[in-house]
Amino acid sequence: MTSYNNGGVFNPAYHDSETLEVDKRSSRKPHHSNPYANEDLALWGERADLRNDAEHGSHRGGWQEESRRVEESIPMGFITTNSTSASWQHNVYQSSLQIDGDSHYDPSPAARPISSMSGNMTMRWRGIAMRRMSMFPNSDPAFTEEEAEDEEQNLVKELVALSTREQVRQIRGLPMSFERKKHIRRQVMAFKSSKHSQHFTGFTDCSKNISLSFRRCGYGIKSARQTLELWHGIMKEIGGKFGSSVLTYFMFLKWLLMFNIFSFLVNFGFITIPLLVHDLSPNIPSNVSFRGLELLTGAGYFNYTVMYYGGYSNETLRGLVDYNMQLAYFFTIAIYMVLCGIVLIFSMANSFKKNYALADSASNSAWQLLCSWDFSITNDKTVRQRKSNLRVQLKESLSEKSLKKRLTLSEKLQQYGIHLGCWVLSTSLAVGCGASIFYLCQYEQEAMDSGPWSLLNEAETLLVPFVVSLMNMVIPLFFSLLNKFELYSNQRRQIYALLLRNVLLRMVILGVLCYYWMNVVPGRFLCWEPMVGQALYRLVIIDFLFLMLGSFFGEFLSNVIGTQLLPRFGVPEFDVARNVLDLIYAQTLAWIGIYFSPLLPAIQILKFFILFYLKKVSLTQNCQPPRRSSRAAQMQTIFIFLLFFPFFVGALSMVAYTAWSLTPSEQCGPFHGLNNTFSVVEIWIAGLEGSSDWVVWIYENIIRSELFYFLLTLIIIVIIYVFWQLIQGRKELIGLLRQQIINEGKDKSFLLDKLQYLQKSYSEIPAGPIKQKGPSSRRSDGHSSGSQSNSNAMVQVLLARQQLEEEEQRRSLGGVSVPSDISASSAMTQALLARQRAERQNEDFYQMPEEHPSSLNALDQAMAARQRALDDERDEYWSTTDFNERNSSASAVTQAMQARLRAEEDRGDDPADLPSPTSSVMIQVMQARQRAEEEERMQWAPDPLQNPAPSGSSALIQAMLARQQAQNEYDDGY
Amino acid sequence: MGNKQTIFTAQQLFYRYRDLAPQLVPLDYTNHPDVKLPYELIGSMPELKDNPFRQRIAEVFSEDGQGNMTLDDFLDMFSVLSEMAPRDLKAYYAFKIYDFNNDDFLCKSDLEKTLNKLTRNELTEEEVRMVCEKVIDEADLDNDGRLSLEDFQHMIVRAPDFLSTFHIRI
Repeated sequence: MTSYNNGGVFNPAYHDSETLEVDKRSSRKPHHSNPYANEDLALWGERADLRNDAEHGSHRGGWQEESRRVEESIPMGFITTNSTSASWQHNVYQSSLQIDGDSHYDPSPAARPISSMSGNMTMRWRGIAMRRMSMFPNSDPAFTEEEAEDEEQNLVKELVALSTREQVRQIRGLPMSFERKKHIRRQVMAFKSSKHSQHFTGFTDCSKNISLSFRRCGYGIKSARQTLELWHGIMKEIGGKFGSSVLTYFMFLKWLLMFNIFSFLVNFGFITIPLLVHDLSPNIPSNVSFRGLELLTGAGYFNYTVMYYGGYSNETLRGLVDYNMQLAYFFTIAIYMVLCGIVLIFSMANSFKKNYALADSASNSAWQLLCSWDFSITNDKTVRQRKSNLRVQLKESLSEKSLKKRLTLSEKLQQYGIHLGCWVLSTSLAVGCGASIFYLCQYEQEAMDSGPWSLLNEAETLLVPFVVSLMNMVIPLFFSLLNKFELYSNQRRQIYALLLRNVLLRMVILGVLCYYWMNVVPGRFLCWEPMVGQALYRLVIIDFLFLMLGSFFGEFLSNVIGTQLLPRFGVPEFDVARNVLDLIYAQTLAWIGIYFSPLLPAIQILKFFILFYLKKVSLTQNCQPPRRSSRAAQMQTIFIFLLFFPFFVGALSMVAYTAWSLTPSEQCGPFHGLNNTFSVVEIWIAGLEGSSDWVVWIYENIIRSELFYFLLTLIIIVIIYVFWQLIQGRKELIGLLRQQIINEGKDKSFLLDKLQYLQKSYSEIPAGPIKQKGPSSRRSDGHSSGSQSNSNAMVQVLLARQQLEEEEQRRSLGGVSVPSDISASSAMTQALLARQRAERQNEDFYQMPEEHPSSLNALDQAMAARQRALDDERDEYWSTTDFNERNSSASAVTQAMQARLRAEEDRGDDPADLPSPTSSVMIQVMQARQRAEEEERMQWAPDPLQNPAPSGSSALIQAMLARQQAQNEYDDGY
Repeated sequence: MGNKQTIFTAQQLFYRYRDLAPQLVPLDYTNHPDVKLPYELIGSMPELKDNPFRQRIAEVFSEDGQGNMTLDDFLDMFSVLSEMAPRDLKAYYAFKIYDFNNDDFLCKSDLEKTLNKLTRNELTEEEVRMVCEKVIDEADLDNDGRLSLEDFQHMIVRAPDFLSTFHIRI
């Protein structure tokens, strides 16, 4: 348990509310949600936990404990003016920690870490919330309205101190009901406004209002965006039927669509519209007309429109303002590419942070059981299928380890051989594809050069894109076939291998095409850019057709085969990886083409839009939900990374190479007559000289200076190095902290074992005499005191104990393991400590026999405590829907202890019966000490001469020492 | 304000809520009528009806712990299960959902129940035991033999998919 008592009950100053508040503020960590932030306090927290258990006699742990603790200890400190209750509380803590105040062991306040008093805010909020959202409101009689109010006040105070943005975030994160959140927020606002009205004037009010209205406006836009969200219903349907991993594909598709819409708007707005406004009619030669084939080939009629680079002029458009077409073209494309890069880098980094840096593949079973269930699934059939899939996977993961060990060396070598063969085969396939495409391009060129431009000739241009798309479709299928022959130890590696091969294939194909366009095409045509644009247009269109065919063959046909012809194949699954790669490839084409054909994004939008519906229909008609619940978030990260790294970077470098190094065609386009595209900027700067010198200065000294880039690179490298070191340090820290958590756990279990042991001996020994002597002897004690109630109490104790023992037997038969034992033992511990407390009060009574009120008071309190325990228990009975025996056993212990406590209190009241409780205290304390010393000698004889208090405290010291020793051992351990 | 971003769907959710029992829920909510829909109606929503945890979800989010929901409970439920809810909040409620006996720990019996709900009781007892042990072994940081909320959250942080899977689209 890592929730620590932050109440700081040891420190008397704690009871001062001011201190509490200050401490909390000062120690609040920036990332307070980290429950392990104050690790080194565990030692005290541990103790406090146990003590608290003792206090409450409750068998609940963790959060409720925390909340109770907080709620009990805080208000007691500064609300109640009743000194009795305060002193009682003080007593409790004292007695639980030290048997006697003036014993030689005195935990001085100075030795304790101050920060142990700090309240971890989140913890506390959850504490309240636990109560609030507790399924059984008012189950705890100790919880009163006042305390809740108070807790709430503290929360409000903490919230007020935060910035508005932070406030909203924090309130949203509160695990409370809607009503409560609203209430808290109202209070925060009221508090704030009252504070502001005292201190500030109209100006700040005004700025407040403005910021508020801005925020509201922001929310409005956000919500509008959400209500207008594209394909919301379809997404829900797909998610409900196929789970979130398939949904990843559709989200990715939508994201790319948004990219293209943005790109289209930019290009259309800054390049095409000004041209169209200036000169609406395209200058098309009279002999060229629209024939329909252009839709496929992009040649002919389209060649003279604004579709391609060639359709734009290099003029400065003279209208209301001068519009330099060259600059507009250059900067639009450049800024668009840079923006794309930035968006990609940010989403990639974000995705990496969320999905990779934190992800941990080690906890597979836990993940499968507790995190993998997709709550968004709403389809009955899918739910059933998922359940059986999960079952299969769990079984697999159970048998996985035994399977791994059986591999011999020869088998391993065989496997490596297969892997190597597959890699060689797939790589050579990819290279072969690239080579064949290059020769095909050359052949096509020669064929075109030979004859006059005809319709057939135009149709022939479709050959290259057709072959390319065919390769893109067929070869991945071959790769997946290969993949089936390879035996990968884990599924993820298999997916990655397949992905890598497909990426390689596409990179080779695109690389060859780009090489051809960059090196061969410019030499052959007078107006070469539109030719490249046309080639890209054809690729985009044919790729689209093949995507449609692919979903027909890939999904529909295999569905038919799986259901009608070969049932052992089964209904196909939707291959997310292959489909996403297709999308990435399509998007890369659009990026490369942006320079040669600025309106290509329009085609892309249309393509993606149709593709979405097509894939949706194909998915729902032909596919079944994925059999394996793969980690979709990580796959998504990889897709974004792939989109960025080989593909976007490749496209960017290709465009950049074109703009910097290639000579634009001399006959057409916005840049004709220039050495290279970039010289547009040089000319522009030269024109600016004289009018705005700072721009020129920037250009000369920053853009064109190698020194600047050299320094920039140097600085970036230094920064990267520093961050790298920081990361290493953090990694080390994380390792240490994790080790510490584990140590704390060991520590706790060690202590619990000790306590359990102690408790066993404690319950055995007094039980011994009772059983041996029988109830009569004890009752005779009661008789001597002449108190009827006393013997009643005794009977109760015995009954309760019997009950407990039965429970315990039953439990041992049932084989209930550690957890229930721990909670039972903690209940026992609580009872034990409560008892010690009572006995301490008894001692007080002996020391001052004339002070009857105090004893009565102690009795009252014991009674009250018992009452509370009973109430608790009753509530438990009443409320627990899933009642288990643990509760009853623990409550039995509590009951027994409380009853016994009362019995002893009663007897304590009777002066004639003085020695009996004393000796019983003695026995117990002796036992405790003996256990602490781990001596197995069974000396149960009471020693009336020895003073109980020192022995008790020495037992405590022993325990402390043992613990310290254990701690040291663990520390040495790592 | 805490849930301002989801308020736009509040209207939508209200209609969903009302559609479950038009005869019980008034259109006019200005006087805060005390209306509770029984679990049978809540659990029959298309979003929940096939969810193996529907009863637990309803119980956790309802004020009375029986699955009978007021409009506020209903809104709460879908705001936590929405896309925008922070991870910690989601983890907290997921923990409560898996914590069948409400003892604030995921002990073996809780895990067994979860497992049986997720696998239609088709695993043998031995397998169930092994899986539960493995889960506890993997996720229990403090070695107390059960998962506390911290353990659970720690695991959630390392399972980025959780945010997308613990999500019900309305």
